[in-house]
Amino acid sequence: MSHQVWLHQLPHIVAANAPAANHSVDWFHQLPQNIVIGLEQGSLYALVALGYTLVYGVLQLINFAHSEVFMAGAFGSYLVVDAIVGNRHLTGAAVPLTVLAGIVSGAAVGAAVAWILEKVAYKALRRNGAPKLAFLISAIGASLFLSNLAGKLFTRVQNNAFPTYFNVNHHVFSIGSADVSLIVLIIIATAVIMMVFLDRLVNKTKLGMGIRAVAEDAPTAALMGIDIDRTISRTFIVGGALAGVAGFLFGTAFGVGNIMGFTPGVKAFAAAVLGGIGNVRGAMIGGLILGQAEVLISALPFVGAEWNDVVSFAVLVLILLVRPTGILGERLWRAA
Amino acid sequence: MTTLETPPTTTPTPPPPPPAMRRAGNETSRVLLKRLAGCLIGGFVLGLMVNSKEGSPDDFGFVFHQTALKPRMLIFLAIGVVIFAGITFWGYLRQHARRPGVRPLGMGILVIVVSQVVLNWYDPQTVKFNGLRKLVDKSSGLSSTTTWFFDWLSWTLVALSVVVTGAAIVTRRRVFGWVTTVLGIAGAVLAWTAHSDVLDLGGGIDHSLGAYGDVIGFLILAGAGATVALSQAEVADSRGFMTRVMEYRPGLPFAVLGAVLAAFSYARNCWFAPVNRNLDFAKTHDAYQGTDINSLASNYLGWLGWVCFVVVAVLTLAATYLRQRLLGWLAAGAALVATVLTFFSLKSMTDVAAKSVPQFGKSWNNLGAGGFTACISYGLFAAAAAYVIARPKTRAAGKSATLPVSRALEKARNSANMKALIVIALAVALFYPPMLSQYWQNVLVTQMAVYLLLAVGLNVVVGWAGLLDLGYIAFYAVGAYTTAYLTGSLPRKPPSWLHMTPLLTIPFAIVACLIAGVLLGAPTLRLRGDYLAIVTLGFGEIIQIVAQNNPGNFTNGPRGVEPPVPHPKLEIGGWKITWGLDNLPYWYLLLVMLAIVVVLFYRLENSRLGRAWAAIREDEVAAQASGVNTVRAKLLAFAIGASTSALAGTFFASQTGFFDPTQFDIFTSILIVAYVVFGGMGSLPGAMAGAAVLTWLPEFLKSQVPTDDRQMWVGALVLAMMIFRPAGLLPAKRRKAELSHLDEASPGEVSAIPRGGAM
Repeated sequence: MSHQVWLHQLPHIVAANAPAANHSVDWFHQLPQNIVIGLEQGSLYALVALGYTLVYGVLQLINFAHSEVFMAGAFGSYLVVDAIVGNRHLTGAAVPLTVLAGIVSGAAVGAAVAWILEKVAYKALRRNGAPKLAFLISAIGASLFLSNLAGKLFTRVQNNAFPTYFNVNHHVFSIGSADVSLIVLIIIATAVIMMVFLDRLVNKTKLGMGIRAVAEDAPTAALMGIDIDRTISRTFIVGGALAGVAGFLFGTAFGVGNIMGFTPGVKAFAAAVLGGIGNVRGAMIGGLILGQAEVLISALPFVGAEWNDVVSFAVLVLILLVRPTGILGERLWRAA
Repeated sequence: MTTLETPPTTTPTPPPPPPAMRRAGNETSRVLLKRLAGCLIGGFVLGLMVNSKEGSPDDFGFVFHQTALKPRMLIFLAIGVVIFAGITFWGYLRQHARRPGVRPLGMGILVIVVSQVVLNWYDPQTVKFNGLRKLVDKSSGLSSTTTWFFDWLSWTLVALSVVVTGAAIVTRRRVFGWVTTVLGIAGAVLAWTAHSDVLDLGGGIDHSLGAYGDVIGFLILAGAGATVALSQAEVADSRGFMTRVMEYRPGLPFAVLGAVLAAFSYARNCWFAPVNRNLDFAKTHDAYQGTDINSLASNYLGWLGWVCFVVVAVLTLAATYLRQRLLGWLAAGAALVATVLTFFSLKSMTDVAAKSVPQFGKSWNNLGAGGFTACISYGLFAAAAAYVIARPKTRAAGKSATLPVSRALEKARNSANMKALIVIALAVALFYPPMLSQYWQNVLVTQMAVYLLLAVGLNVVVGWAGLLDLGYIAFYAVGAYTTAYLTGSLPRKPPSWLHMTPLLTIPFAIVACLIAGVLLGAPTLRLRGDYLAIVTLGFGEIIQIVAQNNPGNFTNGPRGVEPPVPHPKLEIGGWKITWGLDNLPYWYLLLVMLAIVVVLFYRLENSRLGRAWAAIREDEVAAQASGVNTVRAKLLAFAIGASTSALAGTFFASQTGFFDPTQFDIFTSILIVAYVVFGGMGSLPGAMAGAAVLTWLPEFLKSQVPTDDRQMWVGALVLAMMIFRPAGLLPAKRRKAELSHLDEASPGEVSAIPRGGAM
């Protein structure tokens, strides 16, 4: 339903592909530019995929409402940025500060929504000892509810651009023939920072240790004095914050709408599985690989952009056939 | 906006105290504060949900300002506080809620409120109670009681009943109970006469349920009053009372219900409704005097109908009262004969009318609800008879070497319940749809029918084998496109010897889906639960995109099928059935398909394969170790599920004629999984009920909330259902056994990983 929207949200990919349609030489010519675009997309996927994989790690559940956390982050940061920018023309240090405000507000809203989501859609069921599929369905219900509530409260029109406070397509520098625009730089840089931060969090902090312990063996972790409920709740908060940031970045690049979460959510889920679900580094690698595969393969002269989604799932199936538990496998928690 | 919803505390709640401790006062103030915060937030969100405003891209804050920052929000916060009080003082409330009469009182009020707020009251104007009140005020020629009833009397009666019953319960004075009974009966009579008054004045065909609901609600109130007045006990045991009745005179309540319904249908209901006229049974007889209607129908209208009713009612009541098995068989047979007689009389009535006066409408379009209600009431009689027939043979059970008496009795009771339910369900499925308005018949066929089949098919994969298939819609698409290809509706034409009518394509569609299922399943079924989910999701997406992108110009891409798929027709010997644009015939076609599938699956559930599926679902490794060929069993589940959706695809293609790839989107596919789990995973009636409820709900909500908000309410309902009833509407017995230890609280322990093992 929404992948059409998604395709139209990526005008520059389509533009990059259009001339490549006839000449295979062009594919090599476009390669550096496409790698940059793939990196941009891949980092967004990775940020969202981390949320899926973290929750899967502690609960062994697919959090189907995660895409709505992403959407909520985008809307929340939109409201904040809109309130800051208003009708003014920002200059100087105000611009990077506004971007920072967007990132922070996206993370805050994402974390808050994920936290409430866990309380409402998961905790009650966990207490009741509900069957596993019930969690999936409650998440689907929550997802339907959230995306339509956002549609009712804000708008059902898709692709609402953020207020312009800096030139998104401003050309920063080129690597060979690849142009890096400002938004691509921001996305990649933020994603890298967030991922390094998360990696440290999971591997070095007490919370990270708790998360790893619950993922490894929840009953034993409880015996070791880890409050499972609290750990799960915080895992949702961390994953939600990442998705909220991704929502802000995605919204800045491609626009905001109440069903914007669906397709990126599905792709990010695929990325998480690709890397080995439950595995933090796997989600990062999976996201990056999926982003690259999508852009590079659909840029091939005999494929074309309309096969974008088919490519990503075909890559997923092929990799799962070779490595049934994803690229890095399920359990890297211990390796850290 | 969601930041506003964050309550002040951020620490998670400690594990719940055991139920015995859940009393106000024993809980710490922290828990109470959190609960209050949660309830207030819930009320706030409800306030955001309930309003008619829709967001606009110009100002994202508009709806929020309009809803959150207005005094009306205080009402919703108050609702939150009431819920908070309800939860906190539940311990006290429960003692009073078990006093006799309280439950029926609550139920009666609920029914009345629903029928006076939610349901339609007069179809020709599509108005609810409130709308009808305005119409009534404006029009003249209605009796003053009718005007009063709509203006103030109905709500006053409800309020009075509450007050009087409350007084009766508190003071334990019987008089008050009898007063409530009188009030309830008066309300029922008033509601009925007011509605008929409106109908007499306004005319037109009315399918609305509001007045009926209101009457039932007032009767329940009367019952509540009687219960208060008659009850000797402090505490009512309504379920125990029901069980006692059913043990003592099995089926008697059904027989009484059937008798009331049938008497109502013969005496009052409209049997023949040519253009805007409602003729009841007697008037219909007069109307057919002198026409060339055949003698059966003529006699039926004259005297046979009443004789049918009396014979069946007397036989069934006698059978249930005397508990005579032979009489039970006789009653069931009589009910069947009466149904057949009624049906053929109706057929000749409608045919004659359609032939002689064309402007009365086509066959079956000029009938009222009466005949069909009579048929349903015969179904109720038959169900009552089924109870008598299936009555446990206590003596024989005592002799049984394998089962203790109590188990044998329970088994017999279950089978009696089952038989009665099947009879009633069949009667309703056959005879209720003709009573619906054109709009709802359309909904029934275009929205519900296909999803019933799909849910039953997916239930095999998800509910029984425990394989999470999120791309089930892909098989449906394959089935639909196969049918379209073989009927020559795609750009690529089949060779002329393969060109066929839609119903003949069913085996081919099934084979195509089997191949697709095996192609997808063979490589992926070795994957574990969640991996399977994403791969099937991807498959669903791929099939849709392939249909959209139209490789080799096979599917005609987003333009959809062209020319339309022909409607089905069937020719066996000289017997010819054609389906056209009318919706109702498709319902019966679907019913036949569904019946075949359900019977086959019912046999399958407890077969060797069904048990293998259950074993795989519970623990795949253990199943494999016990010698179950897991890959084969899973492939079979996939293939059987796929072939069911092929059936659905064929039905859909030939019913709508036109379809395009957007109808097979992945979101719908996920929704089908939601139908199955909502209804009760692994139970056939559950899957059907889930699909029926969740496809009916959006249509129903059309008249209640802004159209765009329907999905929001559906999502909220699904979420609430999973929180409060995780096993679904009608849980499977096997699942119920798994979940049965839920009642015992496990206070100190919180398990991170949900029960239920592998997906």
